[in-house]
Amino acid sequence: MNDEYYPWGGEFKIGALKGCVAVVLLNIQYNPSENVAIYGRLKTENIGIEKIIANTISNPSLRFLVICGDDIRGHLSGSSLIALHKNGIDKNHRIIDAPGAIPYIENLQEKAIRRFQAQLSVIDLIGEKDTKKIDAIINNCIRKLPPSFGEPYIAIRLKPEVAVNITDKRALHSRITIDYKGKIRKRGG
Amino acid sequence: MFSFTKEQQVFDIQGISFGGQPGMHPTVLFAGLFFKGEPDFDDAKKRLLIVSNLSTQTGTPVIPDLFIRKKEYITPLLSFIENEMPQTQPFSIDVIDPLIKIEVLGQLAERKLLKRTIYNSIHIGITPQEIDALQQHTPEMVIVVTFNPKDASPDGKIEVLENGAHLIDYGLLETVRLIGVEKILIDTAALAPGENSGAAIAAIPVMKEEYGLPTGCAIHNVVEKSKWLSEFPLAKKTIDAASNSSIPLFGGDFAIFGSIENAELVVPLIAWQDILVSEYSENYFGISPTISHPRRKLLK
Repeated sequence: MNDEYYPWGGEFKIGALKGCVAVVLLNIQYNPSENVAIYGRLKTENIGIEKIIANTISNPSLRFLVICGDDIRGHLSGSSLIALHKNGIDKNHRIIDAPGAIPYIENLQEKAIRRFQAQLSVIDLIGEKDTKKIDAIINNCIRKLPPSFGEPYIAIRLKPEVAVNITDKRALHSRITIDYKGKIRKRGG
Repeated sequence: MFSFTKEQQVFDIQGISFGGQPGMHPTVLFAGLFFKGEPDFDDAKKRLLIVSNLSTQTGTPVIPDLFIRKKEYITPLLSFIENEMPQTQPFSIDVIDPLIKIEVLGQLAERKLLKRTIYNSIHIGITPQEIDALQQHTPEMVIVVTFNPKDASPDGKIEVLENGAHLIDYGLLETVRLIGVEKILIDTAALAPGENSGAAIAAIPVMKEEYGLPTGCAIHNVVEKSKWLSEFPLAKKTIDAASNSSIPLFGGDFAIFGSIENAELVVPLIAWQDILVSEYSENYFGISPTISHPRRKLLK
C-alpha cells in the first residue's frame, strides 16, 4: 500500500485507507487514532517537506494536513511547511518567508507545490501538545467528509543533470581517478 | 588508502592540526556535548577528563563540540568554556538557529574566545546578518557544510562551494573569503539512508583532490537515521562507532562522532585506523607521521 499511495516513502504510519487527514508530528509524543490516513514526523525543512508534499498529493483523499507539537529548534520545519503552503517558493526555490535554516525545495516541480496548496488545507497547531485537543480538531475535520480531490498526482523526483558520463569502472566517481597503489588525481588532470 | 596529487593544506588551532596527506596528522575527532535536556556541567567535566586521558594515551586529538540549543544556555555554556576548560583547549560551537549564532559570536568576542573557536557551521542557509556578525567577530576556524538540497552527489557538494548551487549569491568558499576566515574545514554533509548517504564518504577524496582542504563529516548521523538498526541494539552502538573509521580510510581528516559518551569506543578505533593508514602511506608514498601520531605513540 505504501508504494501505491505514498510513492516517496519515509518514516510514517498508515491508518484509514480513505481517510482525509494527514498529521505532521513535530516535537510531540502522540499517536493519532486509526481514523487518520497517515502520520509521521517532520525533521528537516527541505527534504522532509518535499516528502510530505509528494506523499500527500499522491493520495487525493487527503484534504487536511494537521501540524502539531513544538517546532523543531533551528530548523523550524513546521513553520517552514506552513510558509510553503501559504507563499510557495521564489526563483531560487527558497520557501518564501520560511524561518528555517535551509528551506529549499529542489526536487519537486512547482506544479506539485501548487497541487499541494490546492488539495490540502493546513491546520496550524504548532505549539499545541494537548493530544485531546488535537484529537478533537482531527475529528472535526473528518466529520466534514470532504470529497476526494480527483486523480492522484505522482510527483517526479527531479534529477540533477549528469555532468560526466563514466564508463571507467575503476573511478570512484566522476571527479577523480585512482591508481592501483591509491594515488588519487583529478580526471583529466 | 590514498595519497593526493593536489597539495594539501594543514590548518592549526591551538596546536591541533587538521589536514595534509593521509597518514601525516592524526584524524581529529569532535565529541558532542549538551545535545539533550538542561546542560549538565558536572557530567561534562567528567566526560572531558575521560576524553583528555584517552587523547593523551592514543595521540588522537579530540575537540569538544558544544551544542547550544537555546538562547538562555549561551551564557552558562560560554562560562563553562571560559572557567572549566583548559585555557589552550580549542572547541567548536554547534548552533542551528541563526539568531542564536549571532548572539554566540558576540559573546565569544567579549570573552576573547574567538581564537579557540571552530564555528560549526556555515552552509547555504547563511543569512546576511550572520555574515555581518562573522565579519565583526571572526572565529579562528569554520566548518563549511556542503549540503546541496538538489544534488547530494560529490559534484553537487562542489557546486555549493563554487556557486552556492545558485541558491545563494556566492559560493560558500567565496562567502568564507568575504568573512575573512582562512582556516576552513569541509564537511561533506552526511544525509539519511535513501538520500545518497554514501556520497558523504565518496566526496572526501574528491574535496581533498579538488581543493586540498581538510575534509570530514558526521557520518554517524547516517547510523542514527538507520531506523532498522533499532532491532539490533548491540550492533547499533558498534556500527555507530565503526562508521567513523570510513573517514580516515577515505583520506579524511576529521570525524564529528556524536555524543562524547561514545568517546571510549571511538577514540581507540580511530587511533587504530590511523595506524593502519599511516603504515601504508609511509611505505608507498613516503608520508611520515607527525610526532603526536598514534602510530608513534602506540607502536614502540
